[in-house]
Amino acid sequence: MPRKSILAICRHAPYGNALAREGLEAILACAAMDQVPAVLLINDGVFLLLEQDAQQIGEKNLRRNLAALPMFGVETLHLCERSLRERGIDPAQLSLPGTELKLLQNPGAFIAGFDQVLSF
Amino acid sequence: MQFTLVIYGAPHASEGAATALRFARAVLASGHEIYRVFFYGDGIHNGSALAAPPQDEQDLLAQWQQLQQAHNLDLTLCIAAAQRRGVLSESEAKRLEKPAVNIAAGFTLAGLGQLAEAAALSDRVVTFGG
Amino acid sequence: MTLHIVNQSPYAGSALSDCLNALHPGDAVVLIEDGVYAVNDPRLSASADNSFCLGADAIARGVTVPESIETIDEARWVALCAEHNPIVSWFR
Repeated sequence: MPRKSILAICRHAPYGNALAREGLEAILACAAMDQVPAVLLINDGVFLLLEQDAQQIGEKNLRRNLAALPMFGVETLHLCERSLRERGIDPAQLSLPGTELKLLQNPGAFIAGFDQVLSF
Repeated sequence: MQFTLVIYGAPHASEGAATALRFARAVLASGHEIYRVFFYGDGIHNGSALAAPPQDEQDLLAQWQQLQQAHNLDLTLCIAAAQRRGVLSESEAKRLEKPAVNIAAGFTLAGLGQLAEAAALSDRVVTFGG
Repeated sequence: MTLHIVNQSPYAGSALSDCLNALHPGDAVVLIEDGVYAVNDPRLSASADNSFCLGADAIARGVTVPESIETIDEARWVALCAEHNPIVSWFR
């Protein structure tokens, strides 16, 4: 298959609707097809990184799905710095084992560098 | 150019699928091709044969089916999303021991790999949000 | 250059402002569906070099599109998609 650079943009919070979960599933599927996408967490998508206990509402923990991405070759998560700041999240407090978290000051320039964008 | 359309909205609930239909017709009228229409999330409801909108409203299912027949379109419902929400083929209904089959003619169930493949093989991917 | 598609009213959610925060010089913005209610949003004219509005969606809602925004039909929308890459949708 021809290789295209693919970016998955996750901009919805987990649990309120299915977008975050189904977005992560699509990212895994792309990676499994040898089309490893870059991943950008922006706007409410940055909430995926918070420590969470979704069992409380009968859901599966989506941060755990995020943590599984390195096994499929997605070893870097790009984070919109502005989105973190707007939501009062200190990037220094964030970590995800096996994953490099890269802060983006200019998401627009980053997005422009890809062939395809999948929006979730 | 090859276009892939990704649709997240359920018909008659969100406008996305109706907009995507208008876009799809314009793509074909402009001399481009549609590589695949991939229905994901609530978008899989577009492939339910059981929708029965009132006669004075647009029938989105019939319109997708007409377009599919005229242009041999690939209309793919994500199988994982469809199982969760209850759009099943005969083999899936049998396998999952469910009492009914409701996938509409012209649509197929397939894995998320078909979205990845479409992203790799199309020139453009356009998402129609819910 | 990126083509951004916005389908949400700016009064209902953050899709427009999220889009405008991710604009790169030269990018284009297309307003569709409830996104057409953003035609007079001052943030749009301040941030986007090229803005378009899907005419049918505006007429359907009784929205008058100012001259600063180009009104387009579906064929022109497809042409914009062919001219730009990648294409990003901002919704909900």
